[in-house]
Amino acid sequence: MTEKILGLIPVDWRFELTSLPYIRKIIKSRWMPFLPIVLNLSVFTVILMAGYVGGVSTGNYNFGIMFVWIVWWLLLMMVMVPFFSRIWCMVCPLPAFGEWLQRLGFTGVRNKLFGLNRKWPKSLKNMWLVNFLFLGTTYTTGFLTTRPIATFILLMSIIIGSIALMIVFEKRNFCKYIGCPVGGFLGLYSNMAVTEIRARDPQICKDHKHKDCVIGNEKGHSCPWMILPFDIGRNTYCGMCLECFKTCPYDNMAINLRPPATDLLVDKNRGLDEAWKAFIMLGIAIFFFLIMQGNNGLLKDWANAKTTEGYLTFVGLHSIFNLLLIPGVFLVFVYASRALGSKEIQLKKLFTNFSYTLVPLGLIAWIAFSFGLLFPNSSYVLHVLSDPFAWGWDLFGTAKFPWTPFLTGVMPYFQIGTLLFGLVLSLDIGFKISKQTFQNRDQAVRGFIPIAAFLTVTTIFLIWLFTG
Amino acid sequence: MQRKIMEIVAGFLVILATVGVIGGSLLYEDRLNREVKTIELLAEAPERGNWNPPVINLTKGEPVRIKIRNIDTVSHGFTIPELGIGLAGAAEIKPGQVATIDFVPQRTGTFKYMCTAWCSAQHMQMTGKIIISEN
Repeated sequence: MTEKILGLIPVDWRFELTSLPYIRKIIKSRWMPFLPIVLNLSVFTVILMAGYVGGVSTGNYNFGIMFVWIVWWLLLMMVMVPFFSRIWCMVCPLPAFGEWLQRLGFTGVRNKLFGLNRKWPKSLKNMWLVNFLFLGTTYTTGFLTTRPIATFILLMSIIIGSIALMIVFEKRNFCKYIGCPVGGFLGLYSNMAVTEIRARDPQICKDHKHKDCVIGNEKGHSCPWMILPFDIGRNTYCGMCLECFKTCPYDNMAINLRPPATDLLVDKNRGLDEAWKAFIMLGIAIFFFLIMQGNNGLLKDWANAKTTEGYLTFVGLHSIFNLLLIPGVFLVFVYASRALGSKEIQLKKLFTNFSYTLVPLGLIAWIAFSFGLLFPNSSYVLHVLSDPFAWGWDLFGTAKFPWTPFLTGVMPYFQIGTLLFGLVLSLDIGFKISKQTFQNRDQAVRGFIPIAAFLTVTTIFLIWLFTG
Repeated sequence: MQRKIMEIVAGFLVILATVGVIGGSLLYEDRLNREVKTIELLAEAPERGNWNPPVINLTKGEPVRIKIRNIDTVSHGFTIPELGIGLAGAAEIKPGQVATIDFVPQRTGTFKYMCTAWCSAQHMQMTGKIIISEN
């Protein structure tokens, strides 16, 4: 019998969005995703310019800071990742210059890429590097969210770094393994998405020996993300570039609607790198709350580098909490799970598999955290739209719009509801993982008790933290 | 041929999204500033730099726009008491915000301008000079 997500939707339920002819036509056009990238590029030009002219002033009236750390972040966590997987990677303008340079063109097809086209070392083909890169980026959160120039430096570093590294390494290694701070969590959390790109009929791909999606043809590039489009098991490394739609001679690729979190049940290619990404993301959600929305002035001062000692303390605490403390506590619960379930299962396998239960909880924690940005701060957006460079403009007549928090009275209810939904989804996915991992249902039930306790206690802690 | 045209259009769009946006913004700002003599005044508490420039030279009868940019982490205000000029409304420029004052100097002389928000322990020292001379 097919399992159901939350007991409602069968895991294998799919609705093909690209079955609509006009959507398929748009996706197969070589203007896609070029046009959204260029549109996005124009917004990022404004962001970069605002970051540069904004200098070191405070950021709540700066277009760069408001659009990157409020608008983009909210859209990413609340809309893009849960609903559209890695759609951000499809339209991201930051590595576009590097990719255009590799292709020596914008929309044309050239399968022999410019540059050294080096392979990325096999031992580094995982999330470890981007785990540390993202964690490292969060060390600067005190500046990034308050100093426009810091956002400018970060974005310019990504653009310049992507050009340099994409000349050296082939295709999208930069986005996948090296230089994108958010690439790792976009990959992991996109497993939660209710959309996916998959082959329509796997048999057609099986029978087709000349894999155009892998090697490319005159209609499209070989997969820039270096995955096998005919065998995408999980969304993790699919950057949704749409090249496989163009290269497939059988029109066999599809964008499907599906139940949430189904990729978390794929018992293939799970690894400790992704486990640590889940820990890091959960830990950063907690730390970000304390720094941005909490009432601990000392921690805020540390993160803002008021003193060198304070800043180093923040970096140390932040690192230990995310890299050691959360995984350490989780290990204790996994150890108990093994003791109750079955000692025949390897501890490492159990630890890795169960770490994926933190993906729904983590993403939902970020959504709950984001309510704390959305309701109090989004009115600033009206101001910066009218006066993006703080030059005294009033383009849309909203430059004088005062800071107006809204719905803050009911915000805790949104957060509690969201976190409880996250807990239910985590428990549902967790029990399914438990059944996959242990040999029989009895073991799975017993083994899942400590993990369920961990998820429940963590959710209660998050509710207390966010709304207490 | 069609692909070549596509590439040219695509290249044009990239230029428009980058150089076009930057150039367009600068031209728009330049046009606004050309309408009237504009002086940018940076506001920071005295211990972090004070008003910049500290002295503003104006000409009697010549319309002027003072654009006050608060680059500080606290709110500031602005007034020229002797000329009866100040910020309208809440009279507070929040961190990162820009306030604009348009006026035509009618008297010659040296006048003090100052912050009206209690911004720091040295708030009383947050002053500057406006010198208005004959044409």
